[in-house]
Amino acid sequence: MATKSTTAERPRAGAEPWRLTFVCVLAWLIPGAGHLLQGRRDKGLVFLVTLPLMFAFGLWLQGRIFPLEWSDPLVFLGAIAERGLGLPFLIAHLADMGLGTVTAQSYEYGNTFLMTSGLLNFLVILDAFDIAQGRK
Amino acid sequence: MPALPASHFLFMVVYALLVSIVFATLLKDQRRDQVMTAAKMFAGFLAAAVVVGWLMYPFPL
Repeated sequence: MATKSTTAERPRAGAEPWRLTFVCVLAWLIPGAGHLLQGRRDKGLVFLVTLPLMFAFGLWLQGRIFPLEWSDPLVFLGAIAERGLGLPFLIAHLADMGLGTVTAQSYEYGNTFLMTSGLLNFLVILDAFDIAQGRK
Repeated sequence: MPALPASHFLFMVVYALLVSIVFATLLKDQRRDQVMTAAKMFAGFLAAAVVVGWLMYPFPL
């Protein structure tokens, strides 16, 4: 009896570990670069524009770039989320941006934008990883 | 730097728009599907915000 082939049964092209690592690091550093590198131009361009824009919006709304502090678990988790966006985060961190103004009306919105942009980029990195492994 | 807008609704609309675009791009491969998914998701975000906003109306903080 003939059976339908599912995604899980299909043979995967796979990729060498160094290439997978390179794709993931590049996708973390520059949002969308992992897709661009693998020929997914449209998707890569969308991520390249929207994610840094979201991060910039968060900075503009007086959001804070949280320090990696174990003493406050929520701050620590927020800090991990914000670090999901490599280069924009590094630039903002080095330029002393994202100090956060707690009294600003938009402070919490800014934090939400900053953290969400990083978390979305984690998903984008996973997608790039799947493409590199031949799953997509 | 331009002055910050004070509209919470505007912040929510921008947030919903950007998140919808990213999710639709991740989930779908065809451009038409991406646009449709992003539009539906965006409308869903806005509708949910309005509904939840009204549900919170009797319980002011």
